Amino acid sequence: PGLNLNQGSGPITEVLCLMNMVTPDDLEDEEEYEDILEDVREECSKYGIVKSLEIPRPIKGIDVPGCGKIFVEFNSLIDCQKAQQALTGRKFSNRVVVTSYYEPDKYHRREF
Amino acid sequence: GGSDRKRKRKSRWGAEEVVDKTVIPGMPTILPANLSKEQEQQYLLHLQIEEISRRLRTGDLGIPMNPEDRSPSPEPIYNNEGKRLNTREYRTRKKLEEDRHKLVQEALACNTDYKPPADYKPPVIRVND
Repeated sequence: PGLNLNQGSGPITEVLCLMNMVTPDDLEDEEEYEDILEDVREECSKYGIVKSLEIPRPIKGIDVPGCGKIFVEFNSLIDCQKAQQALTGRKFSNRVVVTSYYEPDKYHRREF
Repeated sequence: GGSDRKRKRKSRWGAEEVVDKTVIPGMPTILPANLSKEQEQQYLLHLQIEEISRRLRTGDLGIPMNPEDRSPSPEPIYNNEGKRLNTREYRTRKKLEEDRHKLVQEALACNTDYKPPADYKPPVIRVND
């Protein structure tokens, strides 16, 4: 409603932002967090070299920016594009994976 | 929209196997990077609501085929005809309805013009039990 999303992804970058996969609650427990990290790293590595991975975790009393999103930095644009095509719309813990490219500068400044 | 024309011609052959992807009509899963935080949040809420509605409508409840993968059941509750009331399907549907209700409340809090799906009904609130 009022939002035209048929414009597609916009320019490709090396950083993929994965949304709607985890809730802040899922990330509180250390073991669950480690499992999620491993699941994401393993799956993403099928599509290219994962240079870095960030999953902002909740901190009590603070509104952590990007908490609930997962950011994956790939070695190249083409790997990132392959990963997006493969992962978008897939299910992760019964939730539909939503993706977008993310500005690498913002990612490296940790502006989530 | 214009995206239909740009798409490559698709083979008439159907998929060989069921692909583990969900397509919700009118709700793409690829977003542009330039959405505001509010637009993004609203969109994700709407998408989750549509997805739960789809699951309730089609009976795609996500109950594992293998009973060993299922969570433990609570004590059964029977009606006076001996029929079990709290079946796994019943519990799963109830949970999905509750999740959807929460999401609709959030979507309405973001945007008062939001129209929930036609098959959504708010839960009946009993004033005194």
